[in-house]
Order: sequence, then C-alpha cells, then structure tokens
Amino acid sequence: MKKSRKHILLLTPLFSYFTFFFFAPMFVLFVYSFWLKTSTGLVPTFTLQNYLYIFSKKLYPITILRSLRIGITTALICVVISYPVAYSLTFKYKKLQDVVLYLILVSLFSSYLVRVYAWRTILGSSGLINQILKYLGLIEEPLRFILFSPTAIIITLVFILTPFTILPIFSSMQNISIDLIEAARDLGANKFKTFYKVTLPLSMPGVITGFIFSLTISTGDYVTPQLVGGTEGLMVGRIMQDQFGLTYNWPFGSALAYFMIFVLILLINLFIGITTILKLRRKF
Amino acid sequence: MVMIQKDESALTLNNICKTFGEVTAVKDFNLAVEDGEFISLLGPSGCGKTTLLRIIAGFETPDSGEVLLDGKSIIGLPPFKRPMNMVFQRYALFPHMTVYENIAFSQFLKKRPRDEIEGKVKKMLELVQLQGFEPRRPNQLSGGQCQRIALARALVNEPRVLLLDEPLGALDLKIRKQMQIELKKIQEKLKITFIYVTHDQEEALVMSDRIVLMKLGEIIQVDTPKRIYSHPNSRFAATFIGESNVLDGEVKKVNTDHLLINADGLQFITNRNKDVKVGDKVVMAIRLEKVSRVIGRAKKSYENQMPGKIEDIVFFGSIVKYYVRISENLILIAQENIAEEESEIAAEENDIGETVILGFSRKDVNVYLE
Repeated sequence: MKKSRKHILLLTPLFSYFTFFFFAPMFVLFVYSFWLKTSTGLVPTFTLQNYLYIFSKKLYPITILRSLRIGITTALICVVISYPVAYSLTFKYKKLQDVVLYLILVSLFSSYLVRVYAWRTILGSSGLINQILKYLGLIEEPLRFILFSPTAIIITLVFILTPFTILPIFSSMQNISIDLIEAARDLGANKFKTFYKVTLPLSMPGVITGFIFSLTISTGDYVTPQLVGGTEGLMVGRIMQDQFGLTYNWPFGSALAYFMIFVLILLINLFIGITTILKLRRKF
Repeated sequence: MVMIQKDESALTLNNICKTFGEVTAVKDFNLAVEDGEFISLLGPSGCGKTTLLRIIAGFETPDSGEVLLDGKSIIGLPPFKRPMNMVFQRYALFPHMTVYENIAFSQFLKKRPRDEIEGKVKKMLELVQLQGFEPRRPNQLSGGQCQRIALARALVNEPRVLLLDEPLGALDLKIRKQMQIELKKIQEKLKITFIYVTHDQEEALVMSDRIVLMKLGEIIQVDTPKRIYSHPNSRFAATFIGESNVLDGEVKKVNTDHLLINADGLQFITNRNKDVKVGDKVVMAIRLEKVSRVIGRAKKSYENQMPGKIEDIVFFGSIVKYYVRISENLILIAQENIAEEESEIAAEENDIGETVILGFSRKDVNVYLE
C-alpha cells in the first residue's frame, strides 16, 4: 500500500497542472457550449441551439469539411512519406540512425512561425519555386496558385508535421526484432507477405500515433491557413478564434470546438477500424 | 554438370566458405547429413556454427561451395522456398498473433483449407504437450512454453530438415534438461533430420546422433557422442567436450605396442599412436574419471602411477574431484564416484595436504601430435 501511495505522489504535479489548466477550462468550455449569447450577454441555460447553428449557414460545414480534407490529406501524406524513412533507418541504414534523427529534430529547433514564414517565401510569386521555374523557362508569369491555397497549407503542414509521424513510427519499429522477419521468411512468406503480415502490423501503433498527431494538429491549425492559405484556405480554427476574439460568441465557439473534437474522435476510430479490418492491428 | 549423389544423405555441404569482411566465419566446410539424423554443430562462440546454419536456411549466401538438399543445389533459393524450418534462440514468436495463428502461419500462406489447418495445429500442440493453448498470446507464456510453440510452428510445415539455433540457450537449467530429452523424443518420433547448433557440450552429448565439433570456422572432429568423448582427436576436442588432464610431452621411445613419453620430468606409458616417432612433441589427454587414487587392499595396478600431494578436494554431489600436485608444474585431477558406505574407497578418505598415489591405464591416454 505504501508503495502505491508514493507512486501517486509522483504523479500529483502533472495531474494537478492538467486539472487546473486543461480539464477545468475544457469543462468550462463544455458548459458554455450549452449557454446562449443574447444582446445583453451570456445566458446560462441548457440548449442545443449552438450545435444546430453549425448547420444553419453553408460557411460552417464547408469550412469544417475543408479543414478535415486538409487535415486528412496532410496526415496521410505525412504517414506515407515517413514510413519508408523510419523503415530504412531501422532495417537498412542503421549506422545513419543517429545523424538522420538528429537532423529531423533540428527542424523542430526553429519556431513554428518562422518555418511557416519561410514557406511563404519559398511558395510566393517571387519565391524560390517560381524563380526556378522562370529561370528554366518553363513559365513566363509566376504561378500564383501555389501560395494562398489549400495546397500551400498542406505543403507547409507536411513539412512541419513529419517529425511527429517519423518519430513514433520509428520508435515502434525498434521493437521489431530481425528474428521475427527472418522467422516469417523461413515459414514461407515472401518479402511482401513478410511486410504485410509482420512488419506493418507490428509498427501499426506508431502509424496510428503519428496519424493522430498530424491529423489533430493540422485540422485545428489556424496560423498556417492565415499565412499561406489565402481566402481559399479558410479553416475552422480561424472561425473559432473569431467567436472568442471578435464576436464574443463564446457559446458558439465552444460548441464548434466540441463538435470538432467529436468529429476527430470519430475519424480516428474510423481509421483504427479500417486498420483492424485489414488485419493490420491487433490487441497485444 | 550436376552430380547426383547416390548416397542417402539428406543434406550435403561441399566446400562452403564464408567471410564477413576480414573475418573468416566458415572455411572449406564439408559435411553430409543423413536422412533422419540428429546432428549437432558444436563449438565456442565465433566458431561459425550459426553462420553455417544461416547458410543452410538461406539467410546467408556462401562465398563459395554448394548446399545440396537430396542431391539438388539450393544455393540461390530464398529462405521461404527452402523445405526447411528454423527454431530461433529467442523463440521469435509473432507477438501480435495467438498461439494458433503463430503455428498456422505457414499453413495460411500455403492457403490450406481451414479444417486441415485446425487439425494440424491441434496435432502439433499435442506433440509439444500444450493442448488447448490455441487462444493464448506469446506474452502469456513462459520461456519453455514459447520454445515449444516455436518448435510446433516450425514442425507443422513438415520440413525436410529442421534447423535449431541454440533453441534452449535462453531457458533455465532445469527446463533446459527436460527439453533436451523431449526434443530428442520428438525427433525420434517424427524421424525428421535435425541440425542443432549449440555451444553446450552436454546438450550435444545428450541429444545427437553425431556431433560436428567446430573451431574458427573449421571442423575439428565429426563422430558419435560416445566416440568423440572417448577418442577426442585433438587437444581442443579433449578439453571442449568433457574435461581432460592435458600434458605436453616428448616421445622418448616407440615400441611395437606402446610409447614412452616424457612430460615434466616424468615418464608415461601410452598406447601406440601410428603417427608419432621419437622426438615428436605430443599432447597427452586423459579423462578426469580415468585417473584415480591407488588405494585399498586390492591395489589395482596401473601402467602409470605417481605420487602427489592433494591440493584441493571438490565435492560435486555424486562425484568428487581431487586436485593433486605431482610436480612443480603439474597438477593432475582425479575424478571419482562417491562410493557406497562400506566400499574400500569410502573407507579410505584423504585430506588436503596428504600424499596419495594416482594411477591411470595406458589405454586411457590419448596422444596427439602438437
């Protein structure tokens, strides 16, 4: 008994921090989402009006769908390009592991904003890409659609989020012993079957973690869309920000936030469900 | 031209060489493994035994040489196309699958019908005495159980040859001993050829039909456990398998049926070894249990007898070892069974510091050219 109490003592600092600065505010937001905003102020009540309001104007569903589309695309690209990197670092280029992982971490050293601005410069009409294309004589006028579009958001977010997918996938692969791969080959599996039946399922926890990280961060991002997204790239984070900072419609902002949390949880479970159906994931 | 071998060897290795960079792992290795044989590759770590097994399994390609299975070369065939299966030292059970799925893995890949697979798995679990373990997961099993499942998983495929890479190495002593007997029984029952890699001489002695003793990538001796124990062919064989007193000496005289060898200023009589002549430097190896104290009324006489002072007596349960200093540089070890209460040996106990006479017969001395 004494032992377990000591253990709880060690958990207290983080637990209390989270209670005061995360769970409590989240609860307050949840309560707000059922209140009403009137011309005189906020009225404590219980109504689902805020949630229904999301579907009252075209703007909101469209923005939510766009955010999800950008988020899912970003997350899928991140996972798909990270997986081969993690795989080759684990199984093929073991000696390069430390160097490459360090380089990946280096990209996290600079501020997130700085990196978004850097991409703005690269993608801009007088930016690197347009300059090169022009120099090669492939285009006369700078391509304007690269910057200020959903594509620009995805390009930027993929760059920012790949470390969050490479690292969990890499770390889940560390537990796959070469013996398991050899055992599969020995038991009659060719390279593809070995990958599909052994390597992929065993690294699936990392894939799922990486997917969740990049999906939630990118879907909820509201800085990148403002800097490189333009009018075409309005995302739901910006609308929520406006509810709190501009129109003071806190109940609607809260409802929107909780709706997004709900949708993302649904999406993540759908993704996990798909991997289970494909027999890529099992309980350990 | 491929020469079809007419003998009955299931697996033939011809002139296998393998180097890793500067290191020679296997050097000009030749071996014919007979059908249904339990053969052990025995040697200290780094002797190339595991590399050899991996070459047979197809995980490594030899630099040169041939691997023939039933007379046909299998070099170049990937592991999944070789009718052989392997049992790994660390079990290598798939952690994301149940016991059933682990054992059935190869059968799923072969797309066998479901009831056939279920029947086979059941039979295999019976064979390794783990009936009803189908729904369990590897992390719910003990080390010994894991290795049995790994064995079942390898055997369900009915391999032509089963390769075992120190499969008992990770188990504790008691389970290891039990598994040795069980493995041997399973092998005798299924009559499958087993190639068993181990560094444990006892394991090799207990289970094998033949032992291949290896050192630095080369074969030192191939023989049955009995013969390799009683007639080790070299200093290495005499000391790696079992324990021996080893003496360096010089041949003084060669007679028609015996040799006179001088070692440490003492004269020893041994049986004739055809290879040696007067003046040769030789090694004599005598098994510990062949040396004994000369005591009691019977005073059994040995060709070689010498007095010495007991330096140490070590008790091992059923046996006892006497460390006896014969001369300044020579300590001989005599190993005796603890005899029954009333026998002569028990009656005559010696203490550290006492002088005893040690003796051994000339036929028990193995002589090698150095």
